[in-house]
Amino acid sequence: MASGLRRGTLEFCVLAMVELEDRYGTEIVRRLAEEQSLAATEGTIYPLLSRLRRGGMLDSKWAESPSGPPRRYYSLTPAGRSALAHFRTEWVSFRQTVDRLVGTGEIA
Amino acid sequence: MKPNQTDVVGEYLHEVDRRLSGLPLLQRRELLADLAAHIETERTERNVRSEGELLEILERLGSPDVVAAAAYEEAGPPPAVNQQPYAAAAPPFGAAAPPPYAATPPFSAPARGNAKRLGWIIAAVAAVAVLLLLCFGLALARGDSSEPAPSVTRPPVPERHS
Repeated sequence: MASGLRRGTLEFCVLAMVELEDRYGTEIVRRLAEEQSLAATEGTIYPLLSRLRRGGMLDSKWAESPSGPPRRYYSLTPAGRSALAHFRTEWVSFRQTVDRLVGTGEIA
Repeated sequence: MKPNQTDVVGEYLHEVDRRLSGLPLLQRRELLADLAAHIETERTERNVRSEGELLEILERLGSPDVVAAAAYEEAGPPPAVNQQPYAAAAPPFGAAAPPPYAATPPFSAPARGNAKRLGWIIAAVAAVAVLLLLCFGLALARGDSSEPAPSVTRPPVPERHS
């Protein structure tokens, strides 16, 4: 699949991961890298987290961990929350259109 | 932690850092801190003891080339084109040495470097042209003085008939 489409949607997977609770970097990175079809190597997700933070979608703060080194926790900002909500509506209609045109829908 | 294990991690981080010279300093430091924390967390949580397991952690992170390429991709378009305030603040950092590999998107620093070089070339060509003109003029002037007055001798003005 086009890498642009992959990377363009990956950031919303990141936002969705911290929607309900704050998570630390390694946790987010591990989870997304597990998904084969996302084809995201762990190390490439940190620059993405950095961009989302710089763009005001995420907030981050370092915190001590009960065991091991300090963790950097990410949380969703109000801007990130509305971007995610907007993506959800757009994605559904985008997916339906592509399915209809490419013939990949359930009723092809 | 054995010293040779630290070496492997230090070397990996150094290799990544070496490829980030075209990035703003703060982004560069942030990424290195994130990677270092990731490696430490993985090492603790997975209770890693052998160097083989440590290498697996680094392998999952991705090669320094892949990580650096992603860093450049997420760094945003060149500041000259971008209107965002953050990117506009970037040039002082971005003006560092250009990224040492080809997989990077076009960057402002090398572009500015090229423009500068082009400027120098134009200036040099202009200087040479001026010098040549001067020499030519000098040669002409000398030629004028050594030779008998050339064809500037005007034909005698025809006398007016009264």
